[in-house]
Amino acid sequence: MLRDRWMSFAFLAPAVLLLGVFLYYPMIGTVIESFYSTSFINPNPAFVGFKQYETVMGKAEFWQVLANSLVWTVCVVALQNVIGFFVAVLLNQALPAQGLVRAVVLLPWVLPGVVVAILWRFMYDPQLGLINSFLISAGLTTEGIAWLADKTTAMGAVILAAVWKGFPFSALIYLAALQSVDREQIEAATIDGAGALRRLRDVVLPAIRNVILVNVVLTTILTFNYFDIVWVLTRGGPQGATDIFPTKIYELGFGQFRFGEAATYGVASIGVLALVAALYVLAQRAGSRRRRPV
Amino acid sequence: MKRLLTSVAMAALLTAAPAMAQDKTVLQFWDNQQTESGLSDYQRAAVERFEAENPDVTVNVTTIPYPEYQQRLLTAVQGGNAPDIATLDQIWVAAFAAAGAVEDLSEEAAAAGLTKDKFFPGAWDSASYEGGLYGIPFNVDVWQFSFYNAALLQEAGVDPASLATWDGLKAAAEAVTDRAAGRFGVGLFGHEGEDTVVVMNSFVFSNGGSVLGEDGSCALDEPAAIEALTYLQSLVPYAPQGILNASSGDMRQLFLNGSLAIEFWPALEQPTLQKSAIDWGFVNGTAPEGKTPVGTYGGWNLAIFSASPNKDAAMRFAEFLTREDVNGDVVDLVPANTKAAAAFLAANREGPDEIMAHLENARPRPLSPRYLEVADIEVRLAQDVYSGEDVAAAAKKACDAIDALN
Amino acid sequence: MRRAPLARKAALVAAELAVAAFVLVPFFWMVSVSLKPPDEPFAIPARLWPQDPTFENYIAAFRPEFRTYFLNSLVVSLTSVAITVGLALVAAYAFSRTKLLIVSGLLALVVLAQMFPHAAIIIPIYKMMRAGDLLNTYASLIIAYVSVTLPVAIWMLRGFLKGLPQSLEEAASIDGAGPFRVFREIVVPLARPGIIATAVYVLIVTWQEFLFALSFTSTRDMRTLPVGMNDFIGQYGIRYGELMASSVLISIPVVAVFYVLQRYFVAGITAGAVKG
Repeated sequence: MLRDRWMSFAFLAPAVLLLGVFLYYPMIGTVIESFYSTSFINPNPAFVGFKQYETVMGKAEFWQVLANSLVWTVCVVALQNVIGFFVAVLLNQALPAQGLVRAVVLLPWVLPGVVVAILWRFMYDPQLGLINSFLISAGLTTEGIAWLADKTTAMGAVILAAVWKGFPFSALIYLAALQSVDREQIEAATIDGAGALRRLRDVVLPAIRNVILVNVVLTTILTFNYFDIVWVLTRGGPQGATDIFPTKIYELGFGQFRFGEAATYGVASIGVLALVAALYVLAQRAGSRRRRPV
Repeated sequence: MKRLLTSVAMAALLTAAPAMAQDKTVLQFWDNQQTESGLSDYQRAAVERFEAENPDVTVNVTTIPYPEYQQRLLTAVQGGNAPDIATLDQIWVAAFAAAGAVEDLSEEAAAAGLTKDKFFPGAWDSASYEGGLYGIPFNVDVWQFSFYNAALLQEAGVDPASLATWDGLKAAAEAVTDRAAGRFGVGLFGHEGEDTVVVMNSFVFSNGGSVLGEDGSCALDEPAAIEALTYLQSLVPYAPQGILNASSGDMRQLFLNGSLAIEFWPALEQPTLQKSAIDWGFVNGTAPEGKTPVGTYGGWNLAIFSASPNKDAAMRFAEFLTREDVNGDVVDLVPANTKAAAAFLAANREGPDEIMAHLENARPRPLSPRYLEVADIEVRLAQDVYSGEDVAAAAKKACDAIDALN
Repeated sequence: MRRAPLARKAALVAAELAVAAFVLVPFFWMVSVSLKPPDEPFAIPARLWPQDPTFENYIAAFRPEFRTYFLNSLVVSLTSVAITVGLALVAAYAFSRTKLLIVSGLLALVVLAQMFPHAAIIIPIYKMMRAGDLLNTYASLIIAYVSVTLPVAIWMLRGFLKGLPQSLEEAASIDGAGPFRVFREIVVPLARPGIIATAVYVLIVTWQEFLFALSFTSTRDMRTLPVGMNDFIGQYGIRYGELMASSVLISIPVVAVFYVLQRYFVAGITAGAVKG
């Protein structure tokens, strides 16, 4: 036991020190940079206060990036968790070749994001890709559809690729959670005449409620900052339709040498994400309060 | 016994090492790596030759894949870890010069007898910034040549020479296109990349337009440019679907599998086509009737970094690489040294005279430290044009954004 | 009890097949492209399986560089996993056993650190690595990977440790065991499933990491696998066959490790997440 607070601090020190030096110190530098008119071509930046924030937020671009980021995050997290959950329910049944299927389902998650993106870019290709070849031979379309080149379909296409890569992670966690649900409760509900859906709603979901929340928060953070797939598939295009915070920050900083604005976007993105995370925590607290009397 | 031998060898090395370390300068050289050519072997041979001519210098070559080159250089410069000498894309030179990251080589170049008349003028200009010379032109190429599939044109009854004019190109594209059969006339691309910009520029240039006017303000909303953009938009029905996420590389795949009749590429494309089974030819870009096609310059310059402690050796290496008898062996674009270029083209490319004419005629992109921001705006303009939006409104929007940079 | 067990079973198997297809179709395409000769990936219409399958791409992909990249990835990933899990376990133990305001505050900062966009902090970290003369070393990548994976690792392990019964620790304490001995002899063995779960998570993240690996290594012999993939991507084109062959080669070892560790991973994550 760690009754002694100094012992606690000793246990915390290595990790806290490392995070302080290698994450907080650079991040604080970035926050400071966002108050300076810094760029590669301007080696002697001036302090400009919040002016850079005003400039950045005064452009329609920023709000498009914000909207895209929210759509991207909400859709990927929702789909990944819903699909992951149902796959977990399925894999929790007695099935032929169950062990094999459980292992196979993990494949997308272990592939590097860059590879997944190149693979999907090829699959989406209007002339050479598998998806359009299939649609054409099935007679569903006469000409390949350029999923990634149309601003109305690009975000959907990018989201699908990300869900394909991400759902195994959620499935794995839910599978584990389902295995920990009390068998007796489920059997009792069955004897009471509850159908599969009612058992799911009344017994299973409440039992793994916490897992769902933790999983949703974790995938939200990871998705919001996920860079590889969007960058390789579209680079934020076409016409800015898939530009999200991480791609924008990279493009500004490394593509156009605009460090100050990149820093401004970076700080803004942490603000947005922290806000989203705070909302989850509030929702969870409200939820537990409501549940307590039961 | 073995151990004894090893220690003897170690001892020999240790005594020899200090003597070598004192004399040898180690040059760090970074270059863009083209995956498609076996260039690195030639480069290795050239480096050995340089080291033989300059026994006091060892060159350490790092080739870096293009997609990561810009980030690596930028990170290295910002982190105080730049190489001694590196190839810089023409469009980065002004920014690196403004940042104080690369050296003004005017005096060194003059002392070494490197003058503008020995290089393509556009290449020389691309290394110039505010009266200084911030790089030695290394290689050049021009966007774009229209490469055509002779069999497809013949089948559609098109004379390849007609591709040189706007009307001819459009008529040819229309004649070839059969969308249901997956056959396309012209390979337009508009993804988020620099190839999108250079092709759009060349259509604007060929109609007498400019990206920036004499006074430095945006000229993309002037009539000559609008006309060119409207023309490009009119080609969309004859291009493979998916222009807004397509690159020149994607169009090459369609050209090579015989489903695309005309692709836009620099002369660099020739080695690939020579290896293919396609019966191909090319014309020098496309212009309105009565005008000469004007291409957009591309290429790389050798820049020496301000932080380098080995500037003399680096300059000697730059001189060596751009020498008439060396330049052609170390590039896969066209040597920037015009004499080397003539020999290189005659040996390696079909139609060397046409290529030479197109190169001499080409125009550089705006030489501004904020060019990369201009390019980003231009990509958006191209995407607006190719997706069928109102050309004049899109050009106005682009010009407002470009003019707001100043 | 069940209305139509046979129909139910059929429906389940159909669903199982659908899930497998959703996962496998893109993967199948990857394997198919990796077996095609250089110009066949671009045939119209796309051919599902190559006409003359060839291992050419695999031979090309398994070049000496690939082996170097693979070794680098392995060293960096495994070392990062060991250090991250060690540090996270110690910290998570303190976080789960201390009720102090300052400690809760620190935990919030740990979670916040997970939200930093890497593209925004990479140049400052590069400068630090440069100052420490660590560029082009395993150490630079290991330090970066440990830092960016620590927050989630701490979070996962803290949830797990909170769920462990504390009676054993108390008993050991009363018997006179010091905090380090309690930690080593009671907590660590009990936490093993959680440790394995966290380790696999960190392994997957570091195995794929791209941005830091790109920035901190410039020499070819220090690159990791994801960055090495760029060798197949030129300014104007991608060598799909070799790229996909390399991808297949990359995924095999991780899947194998996963297959073996699956059991522990599943148990570990739940225990952590349930009590989160």
